[in-house]
Formats: sequence, C-alpha cells, structure tokens
Amino acid sequence: MRFDIVVSVAVLLMGMLAAHALSETASSTLAGPESFASIADPEQRSVALFAELGKVLTHPRCVNCHPAGDRPRQGELGRMHQPPVERGPDGHGLKTMRCAICHQGANFEPGRVPGHPEWHLAPREMAWEGKMLGEICAQIKDPARNGGRSLQDLVHHIGTDTLVGWGWAPGFGRQPVPGTQRDAGELAEAWVRTGAVCPTR
Amino acid sequence: MTTLTVTINERAYGPMDVRDDLTMNDFLREFLGLTGTKFGCGAAQCLSCAVIVDSTDGTSYTMPTCVAPATGFHGKAIRTVEGHVKNGELSALQKAFIDHFAFQCGYCTAGFLNEGQVLLERLEKKRVPRAELEKTIAEALDGHLCRCTGYIKYHEAVRDLILADPKRYLV
Repeated sequence: MRFDIVVSVAVLLMGMLAAHALSETASSTLAGPESFASIADPEQRSVALFAELGKVLTHPRCVNCHPAGDRPRQGELGRMHQPPVERGPDGHGLKTMRCAICHQGANFEPGRVPGHPEWHLAPREMAWEGKMLGEICAQIKDPARNGGRSLQDLVHHIGTDTLVGWGWAPGFGRQPVPGTQRDAGELAEAWVRTGAVCPTR
Repeated sequence: MTTLTVTINERAYGPMDVRDDLTMNDFLREFLGLTGTKFGCGAAQCLSCAVIVDSTDGTSYTMPTCVAPATGFHGKAIRTVEGHVKNGELSALQKAFIDHFAFQCGYCTAGFLNEGQVLLERLEKKRVPRAELEKTIAEALDGHLCRCTGYIKYHEAVRDLILADPKRYLV
C-alpha cells in the first residue's frame, strides 16, 4: 500500500515536470534581429534568423492552410478539416462548398469560426506541411513556388499581409503565432539583408 | 449592436438592431419563428442549418447559419425551407423527396432541399452531360449529413427529377 502511494506520487511529479518542460519549449515570443548580432559569420547569422522565423512558418496557424494535399488542416494538431472541404480550382473551395460560406470577413467567436475576407488555401506549390525548415526556405525563395514573389515581396507579405496577420489574432481557443507580425517582418527583412541563406535541413 | 436589413423568402425584414454575436440561426428560429431551418451540430459540419443566398448576379449558393453572424446577411436575400411552397403547392423537389421517401426524421431535409434547389437552378443555367450527372449531384449534396435514410434516396430524388425533364437540365 505504502509502495503504491510512493509510485503514484513519483508518477505525479514526473508528469508535472514533463508539463513544465513542455511549457518552457512553447515560446510565445520571437527574438528580434538584434539578438543574432553576436553571430559574426553573416551566413550563419542569416540561417539563425530564418530558424527564428521558422517558428512562425511552421506554426499550425500557418501550416494548416499550406497543406500537402487538397484539404486544409485545423487545430493545434493539424487534424483534417471538418467538414471535409477541398481546395477547389482557385484555392477558395469547391463550387458547392466555398470557404467564404463559413469563414466570414472576421473571426466570429460565438460560432468559433475564424475569418478573413480572403480566407483560402495556399496553392499546392506552396505546401509546407511535412517539410523541413530548409525545404520551406528553399521553397519560399523560389518564385516558381512562392507566387512569383521577390525577396522584398516576401518581406512585405510576411510583415504586412492581413491574412498572414490573422495568425497573430486567430480567435477563440487557437494558439496565436509567436511574437507579432511586425517581429516576423523584421526577422524576414534581416534574413534577406544577410543573404537569405537557408538552413541545410 | 448592428443594423440588419435582410430579405427572407421575398419578404423584407428590418432595418433592426441586432447583437453582433447573434447567429443567423438564432435570428431565424428565435426572433422570426422560422424553425424550418434546423440547428444541428452548431459547427457547420452537418449543414442542416443551410439556407439559400441569392446573389445580385442571379446565382445562388447555400450557407450554414449556425456559425454565421446574422449581421453577415445584411443586405442579402435568402430563402429558407419555408419559402419553397408557392401558392400553397409544394415545389417539384419537395414532391420528389416525398415520392422517394427521401427523409425519415426530417431533421436534415431543409438543408438537402435548399442544396438540391440550388443545384437545379444552376443546371438550368448551365446544363451538364448525362454522364456527369451522378457526380454533379454527389458533389452538390456532399457535406450534408443524414442519419436516417442515408443519402441514396435524396440523391435519387434529385436525379429522377432532372431525368424527368432532361432538356431543361442536361446537355
């Protein structure tokens, strides 16, 4: 009996420690470009800047609508979207089930439905789901796979696009992307300024 | 509070002040007493709450009301299940649903009816080849959940109505 109690307490403590470790790893902030000034090698600094920006790019708020297939994901675990919608020819859904029939111009908290006037899926060639950060980096630098954007366009897109910005104000029960959109824009700008070097993996 | 003016089944409502957090489903059912539009899952997953929205360009589409704010319908014209009867007579699709025993408990019927009606009107404007009909109906009704009769009888009701007047709907 006493042994059982000792084991139970030990399990409880281990659980609490694990939960603590998890909360330590889930940062809600982004380091600013100045945090990387001590890295002398510009290439390494550029990679480090992109790795920090990667906290945004690989966040569920972003990846869920950059899926590998034709269906968006949802939630923190990237479950398949319910109801079972598909991207359709223009990324705004099938003819009979457009994104906008549920996703209004803004988040609607009573219905717990996120919203934005331009709610849609990223094109197939911009899929990030299941990719390493280095692969995403190479992809977003490639005009053939980034919607024909220059590096400066990318900085602008990440830093000011309002649909991207939804990730920081996602509404009821959704974890926002770390930091602020301005932080992300500054990281992207610093990354481009240092040569837009990609991580190897 | 936001001002709402909306046309429902050809009748104008408003202008009136409604709460910003009021869903269209509650507005229809609780404020107007139009309880034919159901509240099912509350998450836009069963579509029993879908109504028809008539766009100014002459096209129509269905939209769930359980997750949509009433204010989002400001200035729009919609049709609910109560609007299908004309001069006391059921619509052709309503009759087809009855003839095919398409529904049992009826909870999903309003959504299927609205979706089927939108499909019929779409096909009248842009007909499809017979070979594409089954797929066209399946895609149109996809997303509507039924727990009683399954989906086949709804599908057959829509299909048989179309096949009864092929020149109207088919290439």
